[in-house]
Parts: sequence; C-alpha cells; structure tokens
Amino acid sequence: MTDSLGQQKPVNIKAQLQACRSKEETFKTLVTLSKTLPRLSTEEKTEQNKIKGCESAVWLIMEENDGRRHFKADSDAKLMRGVLVAILSLVEGKTQTDIQQMDLKAELAELNLSSYLTSSRTNGVLAILDKIKSGSEHRDNQHSPKQ
Amino acid sequence: MAFDPLLLRPLFPILAQSAYDHPLTYLDNAATTQKPLPVLDAIQEYYLSFNANVHRGAHFLSDRATNRFEQARDTVAKFINAPEQSHVIWTKGTTEAINVVAYGLEHILEKGDEILITSLEHHANLVPWQQLAFRTGARLRIVPLTSNGEWEPEFSHYFTDRTRIFAATQVSNAIGASTPLRTMINLAKQQGAFTLVDGAQAVAHYPVDVQALDCDFYVFSGHKMYGPTGIGVLYGKNHALEILMPYQTGGEMVRHVSYQATEFNVLPYRLEAGTPHIEGVIGLAAACDFLNAQDRLALLAWEQSLANHVYTRLLKAGGIEIYSPEKNTTLVSLSVPNIHILDLNAYLDSQGIAVRAGSHCAHPLMAQLGVAGTLRASFACYNTIEEADRFCDVLLDAIDLLNDE
Repeated sequence: MTDSLGQQKPVNIKAQLQACRSKEETFKTLVTLSKTLPRLSTEEKTEQNKIKGCESAVWLIMEENDGRRHFKADSDAKLMRGVLVAILSLVEGKTQTDIQQMDLKAELAELNLSSYLTSSRTNGVLAILDKIKSGSEHRDNQHSPKQ
Repeated sequence: MAFDPLLLRPLFPILAQSAYDHPLTYLDNAATTQKPLPVLDAIQEYYLSFNANVHRGAHFLSDRATNRFEQARDTVAKFINAPEQSHVIWTKGTTEAINVVAYGLEHILEKGDEILITSLEHHANLVPWQQLAFRTGARLRIVPLTSNGEWEPEFSHYFTDRTRIFAATQVSNAIGASTPLRTMINLAKQQGAFTLVDGAQAVAHYPVDVQALDCDFYVFSGHKMYGPTGIGVLYGKNHALEILMPYQTGGEMVRHVSYQATEFNVLPYRLEAGTPHIEGVIGLAAACDFLNAQDRLALLAWEQSLANHVYTRLLKAGGIEIYSPEKNTTLVSLSVPNIHILDLNAYLDSQGIAVRAGSHCAHPLMAQLGVAGTLRASFACYNTIEEADRFCDVLLDAIDLLNDE
C-alpha cells in the first residue's frame, strides 16, 4: 500500500530533521521534504478543507479507511509543505484513537520544529494539529452556538 | 554622510546579540523600535526613586511623580510643536487614540454624513471609522490609489459638503509611501471636516509640527519611536478635544461625582480615565529627549539612504516586485513571484535577520496591490549599511534556495 507521502519513510523524515544542527539546516531540510508532498488539485482546495488560523493557506483532507486515518495536505508556502510532511509522517495510517493519545506537539519538538509551534499568527501549525486531533471534517462547528 | 549609526549602537545593547549564531540584524522597526538606554534608565529611575500615583496624594513622592509626569506632557507637546500641553492626551497607543476620537465624535454624525480615509490606512485607522459609520448610518469613503500605487491625480471630489471626518496616515506602514497631507487636510477643512493624522509611522523619522500640519487631531505610539509599549498620544486642537465625548469614564477624569450626576474634569484629564501608564509617560518623554538630542534631518537622510540602497540593489538583481517608493521612504516592501513571503521570512530569520512578512494590518491595500502580503524591511537610526547589504545578500540567497528547478 502506498501512503500519501510517496517514497518518504517516516523514520527517514525523523532522522533527517533530528540531524539538523541549526535553524538554517532545518530550513533546508524542510524545503527538501516539501518536494515529496503530492500537491492537491484545485478541486480539493475547498474552503471547507482550508485550515483557519494560518497566514499561509493550508488545506487538509482526512479520510478513514479500514479504521485507519489517511491524510492529504497542501500549502501555498513551501516550508509549510515541509512541516506538513513531518506532521503527516507522525499520524498517517494510524487509528483516530492512537492519534488522540499522541502528544503531537512534543513529537514535533523532537524533530526540531518547536519554533513552528508558537501561537503567533504567522503560523497555523497548532490549528493543523487541532484539526488532526479532533478528527472532525467540520472544525467550524466547534465555534457555532450551543444548541 | 555626516551621520554615523555606530555612535548610537552602544545605546541599544539589545542589538549586540547573536541570533542562531548569526549577528542579530533588526529590520522590523516599523513594527516596533528598540529602546535606547536613556529610556530604560528613565523607567528604572521612576521605580527606584519617585514611584507614586499622580494627581492624588499630597506627599513627597506623589509630588515628584506628578511633576515629572506633567513635565513629560510638556516635553511631548514641544516634540510635536503643540501650542499647549493640555492638548496632549495620553492613550495606550495609536489605536486607542483613534478610538477615543471615533467614539468621541459619534454624537456629531448624522445618517448620510461621510467619513473619508485613504487607501493607505492601517486597520487601526480604518476599522474604528467603519464601525462608527455602521453605528451612525454615515458612509465610509476611500481616497483610492491607482493600480500602480500612485494617488489619483484628481482626488478633490472625494471631499464633499457631507465629509465630516477626514482621517489619513502620514506614512504608510505597509509600503512606506507618504500621503499628500497638506493638500488633503486643506480640502477637508474647506468642507468643515474634522481632520485626524495617524503619525504612528512618521514620528520616529520625521520632525512633526502639528501646527504646520494644521490637523485637528494627531495620533502616535511611543513604541515605534524608541519609547515604551503601551503609551501613545492623542494631540488635538482645543475645540476638537472639547467636542469629544469621553470614551471612558471613571476616576481621574471627574471633578465632582454624586449618584445623580458627574461633572467631568477639564482637558487633558477629562479624556484620561483611571490611573495612567506613568512609567510609559516617563519613558516616552525620555524617547523624545533622545530624538531631540540627534540631528533629526541627518537621521532621516540616513534611514532613507538605507532604504534607497536596498531598493537600488534589489531592482538591479531583478525578479523582485517592490511596492515602496524609490526615494523618501525608510522601508522597502516587496514580494517575489512564485515564492511565499513566509518562506523568505523563515530563511532570513534562520540567518538572524528580523523583518516582517504579512499583510501589515492593511488587507484592503494588499488586495488593491494584488498581493496577499509583502516582506518588509524597515530601518531605524541604528541600522548600518552592512545590515542593509546583509539583508539583500540573504534575501537573494533565499530566492535561489526557494526557486523551483
């Protein structure tokens, strides 16, 4: 079975990022990783798939197959596509229960990506993690008035 | 060049550090400037030797605090050439100052009146007027830019006999362009409109003379002119401040209170409810003193020469869209086709260079320029030509790295 990350193995991604010794190396590695992310089609880049809270546009599609979660994602910013490769390598093919038990922030920090986890408005990684954790297709509902 | 920024560097110890093993290069001055030692010392001295609430107690410390606090008002009044110190109102910053005016003038507006702003406005000088228009039934109108970022040659017809308020920035935070203020203020006055100038991006660079501008209100923030955060100024002509309904009420702004009624205090206190930001006021006065001690025109010429240097180098390099004017600006705002500004920003950051990437709180302007956002390098008096060159070098490296095969 091929996953949405093409030939990149999660363990490889982790090793590459952990080997980075500077912010510049992390930058260059993310640029390299970004090239492995299959781009979404225009039809897939819907408002509904768009994650709010990112200054760069980010789209995330989640599907469930045989009880496992599969992800497709894209962004208009290259570095964000690299970060998406790293995030998806952590959760691709896992069950929603497994994903909910993961400490995604801690795992990204282990990959030298903590500087992408601030709540600054330039960066919507937390919003992406939120959406993955919630597992919901319609995150907007969280903000609607209680019935 | 007569001016040497290296002479000022020791006053800004924060700049002497490394960022990710590179020299920190701070080019985000339009967002906030760094603070010189005299400002930090003044704040410390306030807490070390005369901290007390102002205008209240009658004791040694409160007298000292009140004196220094009111001296600061005088310093700021002189800094912008306001005729009276009571025309200087303390606010949290530019945004609050504009809100004080927008709420304060609500009672003079009628349905169908017009509030006029320009295309260059920061959201702070747009949203308060838009919301005021919603509340009153007034119409928000915009003096537009043409598609190539110039002012329409004939904009006088936007000023009509229904224009009650005209609010404009002196200098655009997003692209660094200046507004033809004299002409616009004149047109507004001919229609009897109140005029407000947003000086947030101007005060650190240009000597300001509110009497020469002849605007009714002039607003700015301390933190963009080497002063502390959380303090700003609303200057107003006497009749203009008098007509404002207080936006906030409470202590300090009153003369007498009963359960039935309240008699408000005189200006400036009438518009300053609550205990003020005393350390901010003391620090802001120190920032004015710091700027007064410099040759302001030499500083301005230096900052403009840095922006012009970057403009010229990047234009020569090619492939970069520049939205700032070539001259008479202290910042360079740009984008690169097919490369996301956040990617450029991230690489610059990895090399210790601080700039701003985004829409600069000016969504309508960005839409008009046809970009989602720009990358902005903005200069202050302590920046060097080496830093300007380093920005260009690293930006060009980033473009190479990010350009697709």
